[in-house]
Amino acid sequence: MLASYNWLKELCPGLTLSASEVADKLTGAGIEVEGQKPYGAPDECIVVKVVAMRPHPTKSGLRLVTVDTGAAQQEIVCGAPNVPEPGGLVVLAPLGTHLPAKNMTIGKRDIGGIPSEGMLCSDSELGLSEESDGIIILDQGKRGQRVTEVVPNDVIFEIGLTPNRPDGLGHIGLARELAALVGIHWKPPFVVETEGRDTIELLGVKVTIEDGVRCPIYAAAGAINVKIGPSPAWARYRLESLGVRAISNVVDVTNLVMLETGHPMHAFDYDHVQDAHIIVRRARETDAMKTLDGVTRELSEDDLLICDGRGPVALAGVMGGADSEIGDDTTRVLFECAYFDARGVRRTARRHGLHTESSHRFERGVDWDDHAYVLARAVDLTSRLSPGTKPLAGHIVVHGEPLSRKVIRLRHAKIRGLLGVDVPMAEALATLTRLGCVVTSSSAGNATEADVEAPSHRPDLLREVDLIEEVIRVRGIDTVPAELPAVRPTRDVGGREAAFSRVREAAVSLGLSEAVTFAFTTKESLTKLHAPAPSVTLKNPLSELQAVMRTSMLAGLIDAFGNARRHGERSARLFTVGNTYEARNNSSELREAADNLPVETARFAALLAGDAPAYLKKPRPVDVWDALGIAEEMVLRVTGTRADLRRDTSFAHLHPRGSAAIYVHDTLVGRVGPLHPDVLEAFDLGTDVMVVELDVMPLARAQAVRCVPLPRFPRNTRDIALVVSDDVPAGLVLSGVKKAAGDLCEEVSLFDRFTGDSIPKDHASLAFRVVYRSKDKTLTDAEVDAVHTRVISEVNAAYGAKLRA
Amino acid sequence: MSEADDKKAEIDRALSALCESFPARFLGAETEQALRDENAKILGKKGELSAILKELGRVAPEARKAIGEAANAVKAKVEAGFEARLRELAMRKRDAELNARPFDLTLPARVPLPRGHRHPISIVREELVQIFRSMGFAVFDGPDIDTEENNFGKLGYPPDHPATDMQDTFYTDKGHLLRSHTSNIQIRAMSTMKPPFAFIAPGTVFRRDDDMTHSPMFHQLEAFLVDEHVTLAHLRGVLSEFAARLFGDGTPVRLRPSYFPFVEPGAEVDLGCPFCKDEKTGKRLGCGVCKHTGFIEIMGCGMIHPTVFEACGIDPEKYSGFALGLGLERTAMVRYGIPNLRMMFENDPRFLSQF
Repeated sequence: MLASYNWLKELCPGLTLSASEVADKLTGAGIEVEGQKPYGAPDECIVVKVVAMRPHPTKSGLRLVTVDTGAAQQEIVCGAPNVPEPGGLVVLAPLGTHLPAKNMTIGKRDIGGIPSEGMLCSDSELGLSEESDGIIILDQGKRGQRVTEVVPNDVIFEIGLTPNRPDGLGHIGLARELAALVGIHWKPPFVVETEGRDTIELLGVKVTIEDGVRCPIYAAAGAINVKIGPSPAWARYRLESLGVRAISNVVDVTNLVMLETGHPMHAFDYDHVQDAHIIVRRARETDAMKTLDGVTRELSEDDLLICDGRGPVALAGVMGGADSEIGDDTTRVLFECAYFDARGVRRTARRHGLHTESSHRFERGVDWDDHAYVLARAVDLTSRLSPGTKPLAGHIVVHGEPLSRKVIRLRHAKIRGLLGVDVPMAEALATLTRLGCVVTSSSAGNATEADVEAPSHRPDLLREVDLIEEVIRVRGIDTVPAELPAVRPTRDVGGREAAFSRVREAAVSLGLSEAVTFAFTTKESLTKLHAPAPSVTLKNPLSELQAVMRTSMLAGLIDAFGNARRHGERSARLFTVGNTYEARNNSSELREAADNLPVETARFAALLAGDAPAYLKKPRPVDVWDALGIAEEMVLRVTGTRADLRRDTSFAHLHPRGSAAIYVHDTLVGRVGPLHPDVLEAFDLGTDVMVVELDVMPLARAQAVRCVPLPRFPRNTRDIALVVSDDVPAGLVLSGVKKAAGDLCEEVSLFDRFTGDSIPKDHASLAFRVVYRSKDKTLTDAEVDAVHTRVISEVNAAYGAKLRA
Repeated sequence: MSEADDKKAEIDRALSALCESFPARFLGAETEQALRDENAKILGKKGELSAILKELGRVAPEARKAIGEAANAVKAKVEAGFEARLRELAMRKRDAELNARPFDLTLPARVPLPRGHRHPISIVREELVQIFRSMGFAVFDGPDIDTEENNFGKLGYPPDHPATDMQDTFYTDKGHLLRSHTSNIQIRAMSTMKPPFAFIAPGTVFRRDDDMTHSPMFHQLEAFLVDEHVTLAHLRGVLSEFAARLFGDGTPVRLRPSYFPFVEPGAEVDLGCPFCKDEKTGKRLGCGVCKHTGFIEIMGCGMIHPTVFEACGIDPEKYSGFALGLGLERTAMVRYGIPNLRMMFENDPRFLSQF
């Protein structure tokens, strides 16, 4: 909403604030002034009178215009097609004038051999309108007078209104608000004398409301002997300054009245209103209409129409029809001022993809009881903008469902209870009265309660708290003191936040960096990843790229890695946390949730690609064992429990030679491995990529640490190198060693793996360190030797492992 | 003179010769190994001292004791000499090592593991959660996909009302929606629990907006407290404490009335800019971050609307409460000077590694 400082001052005569002070006041009261800009012509520009005109001697299309500045006459070269006849008033920017709108300064110029000192200006050159055809022709002003005296400088506020304040969509509402904020008495500034005029009855118009819910009030007034033409300068510039194009006097009237009152109106050429009958009804299947914008509308039965005896003439509250539009030959005008149901207007506007000044206001709720003022103002303005007009007195009004002013009980105790501030009841009631409320009952003086009637222009005032907000808003919400509450302790509900936090900490400690990935992705990505088919699909996605909710965390990570590669980054160590989403299966036992919301599963995923960290030597590419390290350490650092990795080839997106399932206490919690070459190809990754996927919530159930006593007797350590076939997994040999070593074995670790040289092909030498220790005594070498010899023979028998020579 | 006497004299001579000669021999050993070899030559099982004492049997028995004592004395001297020289050689070696060419400390440090980085949104998220936890709030976890009722209806958003324009929402094919704010959590808490409670709800939210300043997915944190006798002054108290903990002691808080359907009164919250504070006066001098206003617009808040209480089965005559919410992206942008929102979703390693 754009608002004029000058207009606000006119409507609020006692106002002495500067424009900036007005902006601060309004913003401080929740009507946010987002910007303000000056409006007006440069100071140097003056009104001049055309004296004579002749064609340019050499340049066709240019003319030499002699103007009288009051002090002198001078000749100006002008290219405009609309230079008026001698006697017409135009605007001259003299030599040296700076025109900020065009960022130019008028200099001495020589055009086709004729010197020109100054320029005859158009509205857009002066910054008075966005565009213009031809130079300004004024209908008022004197030779030599500054243009700023004809078109006063103004400040235009850009106001960002919250949707609860439709009253701020008109200057009267803003003026009322300002008056309340500065504490001056305010009343509508305009009263029309209508005595002695012909009345609206003269037109004999009949109004029928068929849907009284959607149209509780329909009122109309009129004027005859209207002559359509341009509005006078003051009206045009007022509109232009507020970003509305001046069109013709009658259309300008409807716009001016809307900008003043916030109430959209419509003007009909009454001679085109068939049967002199206005019918407000819902659309029927047979209806069709062309709106002012030239579009033929397909109507829904939910659309409310204004019809005449023939058919639809306007989409109620949204846009007028082309047929009854005001034309050049209009002489009898019928003004409509109605109140339409806000939600209905919104549905119609949305359905037709229209957002008009009118629908914007009706959707938010216009003043439902201002039609007398609005119509009187429109008729009176018409007579001023179109001299010779015969304004008709009065209006007709037809009611649908009755509307009434809400009466709200305000309790003094509640003000303090909600705000924590003691506001005297008298102050509260005075504030509400200034905003237009009427106090209908209160035992005066130190009342503890009062009944307050909300005004028709404040549809947002519905309950006691709404009144209390008004009281503190006007007093200044920023004056509320700070007081710390005694917060009674509460426990967490659900545990994702804490779990995610621990997972992040572990991942970062492992040198992974966090990517924030979108919860939606494409169906195609999930297919490529062999992830579960998406079962939660968006009905209104912004694009196909974000059309389904993810069932795998990898899509986002692969995107992130793809981005990094485009920036020339070859390596990545990324992780992400978040949810995957799957619709509940109707037959599944998960269906117990009454709202049947999708299942959200908290997940972690990591991606490794490119080089592993190396120190001063040629780096090696990351491999599956790097991924295993991340998987094991993540589980260990988050839960305090060792993960159990089991080779598992059932994950279609992972490389069959290197994929493993991750278990914690026999619960499957994730998987790890290189991406399958098909997946790499599908995503065009061009390099090996290792991934780790974990379910977060099972990890969140961390084992409590139990402290064990330290051993009292020394250890006895033996190293053993065994040559085994590559067919035998090292882990199997290790557990064989452990088993054979029995109770005395404290720990077995693989510390070297060697191939080549004397080791037979397809075999490896695995070097284990076995730590023996007894809880009860110091072991002798002989005792250990005995066990160790048994170990060697047992693993030899079980896996064909031979002691390395 | 008897042969035995001769033998004794011979041994005595040999012992004193050994005693005379060993210091020079030890000194001649330039390495630890040479020293040990020399020592072994003298004191070893087959060494010179043993060789000398082999003749002891031929000495008169009454003289043997004296020779034994003399031999022990020599042995002790040799041992002491050996130890001393050994120490000397060790010292010399250490000196040499200490004085050798210094290590090239300009070679890169060997980092145990590359550093990992939390995303700035997560850093801010965990910090804010910590701040509110320490003020007595707990986390209430809720779903990203929720019902229209929890996201709008019970919050007092009338159907077909322009207020819902403020949040253009994604709907799923099953008629649910991606929550457009974390305020669905206050509904879930109030519908399932009895006051008093104080919760925060950090989380992912979604709106149908995608341009330079909007991402279709972003993050919010909401805090709400419901109890008897909670007032707007309490809300301001919590905001002031929050501001102090986030941006430092004495950070001013400014409230401007605003509109959110689920609160009344509702307000926007501006916090004093932490980047242009004059340390002496505490005044904000104005800078690019606060657009020279001295304040940063960072959150919305208000007193929970009685309609919301009623929708959740809580008596608004008995209980009152406040809610406040802020965007994590906005907070991170302010805190780290991140110039544009999009950077936070591109996951460029050059961006992530800065945090």
